[in-house]
Amino acid sequence: MSDKVNLTIDGRKLEAPAGSTILQAAKDANIYIPHLCHNDELKPYGACRLCVVEITHRNRTRIVASCIYEVAEGLEVQTVTERVLNVRKLVIELLLSRNKKSQVLQDIAQKLEVEKSRFELDIKGCILCGMCIRTCKEVVGVNAIGYKSRGFTREVATPFDETPPDCIACGSCAYVCPVDFIQYSEKNGVRTIWNTEFPMQKCTKCGRHIAPVKQLDHFKETLNLPEDHFDICLHCR
Amino acid sequence: MMEPLNVYASRLVNSKEFFVSGHKSCQGCAEALAVRLVGKALGENVIVSCATGCMEVVSSAFPHTSWDVPWFHTAFGNAAAVASGTEAGIKAQVRKGRLPEKETVILGMAGDGGTTDIGFQALSGAMERGHNMMFVCYDNEAYMNTGIQRSSATPLGARTTTTPAGKINPGEEFTIKKNMPEIMVSHNIPYVATACPSYPLDLIEKVQKAAKTKGPAYVHILSVCPTGWRIPSEKAIWIGRLAIETGVFPLFEVVNGRYKMTFKDLELRPVEEYLKPQGRFRGLAPEMMEKFQEQVTDNYNDLLKKSGLK
Repeated sequence: MSDKVNLTIDGRKLEAPAGSTILQAAKDANIYIPHLCHNDELKPYGACRLCVVEITHRNRTRIVASCIYEVAEGLEVQTVTERVLNVRKLVIELLLSRNKKSQVLQDIAQKLEVEKSRFELDIKGCILCGMCIRTCKEVVGVNAIGYKSRGFTREVATPFDETPPDCIACGSCAYVCPVDFIQYSEKNGVRTIWNTEFPMQKCTKCGRHIAPVKQLDHFKETLNLPEDHFDICLHCR
Repeated sequence: MMEPLNVYASRLVNSKEFFVSGHKSCQGCAEALAVRLVGKALGENVIVSCATGCMEVVSSAFPHTSWDVPWFHTAFGNAAAVASGTEAGIKAQVRKGRLPEKETVILGMAGDGGTTDIGFQALSGAMERGHNMMFVCYDNEAYMNTGIQRSSATPLGARTTTTPAGKINPGEEFTIKKNMPEIMVSHNIPYVATACPSYPLDLIEKVQKAAKTKGPAYVHILSVCPTGWRIPSEKAIWIGRLAIETGVFPLFEVVNGRYKMTFKDLELRPVEEYLKPQGRFRGLAPEMMEKFQEQVTDNYNDLLKKSGLK
């Protein structure tokens, strides 16, 4: 897989490993393409559509999402053209209609010279990028949350909107959420996420809270550790 | 406030390194860790000007370098001046159309000597002129690189080679640590923050905020130095945590003059827990300990008042 392909991005001749995406190649060359649903640790998904670019291949131009389009020999990519900017402006308007308050969205909108969204929607703020769901599946590996319903009513939810049985309260979904929609708080040894309270394990020596009990149970189960392994925190050992 | 999440969330942080391994810092150096985290937070679109000090010595011994981004070595005192010049230069080149507009982050970095002592007037000038740059101070509380001499960031009672133990006092006798973040707040700059590599996600978040700020930004990072603080190298992260938990180095950020504590309901532990494990405070008289505690509590309460929590 060490094959390299040659492509041009914004007139710059670049070499990228075969199988990588346009977004990765642009990132390596320090060319900025706005994006919300991409993280190097997660599989490409192509949900937010902000990363659209214009490609020319065999004399035909078209708009593609750069985070899921693989590089190819002789590909010509333009990241800033009138057509691309028009698409991005529409996309950011649609995203803003789902979440008006997000600073991240507003910053991108400002760069694209979009003042406000033309669309009015009664949606709480999730932009359905799927970062939380993919993180839960690919990084944490517990599959505690997923999509619910379709179309307009689609949202990210726990199974049956109840207390998530598989959730270990690690909070990665709250960390990764680009618009800070997932609520997370921690107070007096109780972590609250997905409307559920998770008690934290207390170190028997120093009294500091280590992590949610469920998370430590998950570690013990997957790593085959003794039952009292997490009674004492790292520093007291 | 993402700190307790760092089991899985830390895997989602930028996996590329810009301060790469192979440098010559001591075992357990938290400053090298802080530089690495700052590099991860800023990405490749950055130009660094680094003052003389530990990080310059360990990372750029000819012909090797640990830096994967454009990096200047400046004299001891002028990291901020060089950074501000870089910013002005890029601005002029962009205006003349010779460079594309890429929003490059201009980072000045120095140790506590290069910030609070020698580089102070260059930094003060750069901040006052309002350049669109950020400055990071890696504070290990003495001139560690040249052999642990005291600086103005050395705390009360700490033993260094220039403040050795005498018959009455074990170390630094009269002076308390210079409150650098507060001095930076008085420059009326849009963003000031304190961070510690023992809380990596918080550090990354603050550095990214500083980079996004239009105008000057300052981040003060406490970097534990096992060699100079006389602690075992594996305890560096733990001592960093204790510094925050005891209130010796409170974590906060000041955005446009508004204070915000990072840990809102922190019950302070006694300062003794922080001082006892460190060899540089060995033999500290109980009166000095009390004085230290008093000063820490005052400072912390002051911060709470400013942030409207008390």
